[in-house]
Amino acid sequence: MFFEYLPLMSTATLMTLGLAVCSLIAGLVLAIFFVVLETNKFVCVRKPTAIFVTLLRGLPEILVVLLIYFGSTELVEKLTGEYIEFSPFLCGVIALAIIFAAYASQTLRGAIQAIPLGQWESGAALGLSRGYTFVNIILPQVWRHALPGLSNQWLVLLKDTALVSLIGVDDLMRQASLVNTNTHQPFTWYSFAALLYLIITLVSQFFMRKLEMRFTRFERGVK
Amino acid sequence: MFREYFMEIARGIPTSLLLTAVALAVAFVLALFLTFLLSMENKPVKRVINIFLTLFTGTPLLVQFFLIYSGPGQFQWIVNSALWPLLSNAWFCAMFALALNSAAYSTQLFHGAVKAIPKGQWESCAALGLSRLQTLKILIPYALKRALPSYSNEIILVFKGTSLASTITIMDIMGYARQLYGTEYDAITIYGIAGVIYLVITGLMTLLLRKLEHKVLAFERLEVEKA
Repeated sequence: MFFEYLPLMSTATLMTLGLAVCSLIAGLVLAIFFVVLETNKFVCVRKPTAIFVTLLRGLPEILVVLLIYFGSTELVEKLTGEYIEFSPFLCGVIALAIIFAAYASQTLRGAIQAIPLGQWESGAALGLSRGYTFVNIILPQVWRHALPGLSNQWLVLLKDTALVSLIGVDDLMRQASLVNTNTHQPFTWYSFAALLYLIITLVSQFFMRKLEMRFTRFERGVK
Repeated sequence: MFREYFMEIARGIPTSLLLTAVALAVAFVLALFLTFLLSMENKPVKRVINIFLTLFTGTPLLVQFFLIYSGPGQFQWIVNSALWPLLSNAWFCAMFALALNSAAYSTQLFHGAVKAIPKGQWESCAALGLSRLQTLKILIPYALKRALPSYSNEIILVFKGTSLASTITIMDIMGYARQLYGTEYDAITIYGIAGVIYLVITGLMTLLLRKLEHKVLAFERLEVEKA
């Protein structure tokens, strides 16, 4: 009885992981984009971005997910008059990426500011453009400062993926409820789902600790 | 149309706020108690609390909501027991799930603050001949004040977390918004209004908490001024 549903749960676990990884990648790109906009020379770009990011962090995550999923269809219908339904997976990734980026951009901005101004100046002295300096000199050093914050946000993202079950992505949470409607064993299946989430969290915590050690090895000196 | 939507969704505000307040109060007391236990440095007790913390910080809040709301129904002996009226009540379950979740995060916060107390303060308490419990009674209120800025974040998170209660049939701001969407199919307007309501409340809360932090942490600025 229990084992019948295990294949379903393992596919759902992969779905959750895929969702989280896609959102992480999209979210990181978006976060860098937010940072670039927020540190822009022009106030008329800087201010609206800062306000947008702050507003985003004040909204409940579930609202963002629902707004993007149901709102996107409506927006397209209003603009083009056609009814197109976007895939829940895509909408989930977009929503999670935006939420992740709103928080991660703060961490990244702090990390960039932690890098001495002299680095920028030496880049300029070598005749490198601002963009080149940023990508090749500043960014590699940023990870070192940003990693603890980002790894926390990855854990938050992982847990937020459960919300996407509400728009119909067959992730761990939704699969657990589906199996529950078949078997009427809510406790067994929800706690099994919780256990799987816990395992993913603990495993990623382990790897992040390793990664942090690697990134800061030259600060701690060679043993 | 705007007005009607707003009036409908606004009916959920008291539920959301009440849920936040009760869950926070329960979580605060629980977290305080757990911090005391953790700081007493008793190995087995510490291990049990750490398992609780890992469980509740490592799994999604949504899963906790469903587990607490529909989980107990699987066991006939719970259904027959005197606890059932309480456990089958969605409001109680939502409050309980939020409280346990918040207690886990707050305990981590408070315990971190206790560990960050300068060593000299522990030593001066020891020099006065105070026991571990007496020392904690003096030092924990001090640590709590220091933890307030991070605790403000936790308060906002709990308020945002109440929106998940709509998944277990509670009619809070999100609950009314989802119900309205079910009949009107106007996602952008309806969820937009709900979003604005959430933003206004989180904004007000942030402002108030910042005032409170300023007041409570006044003693720290005094030290800086003197130095």
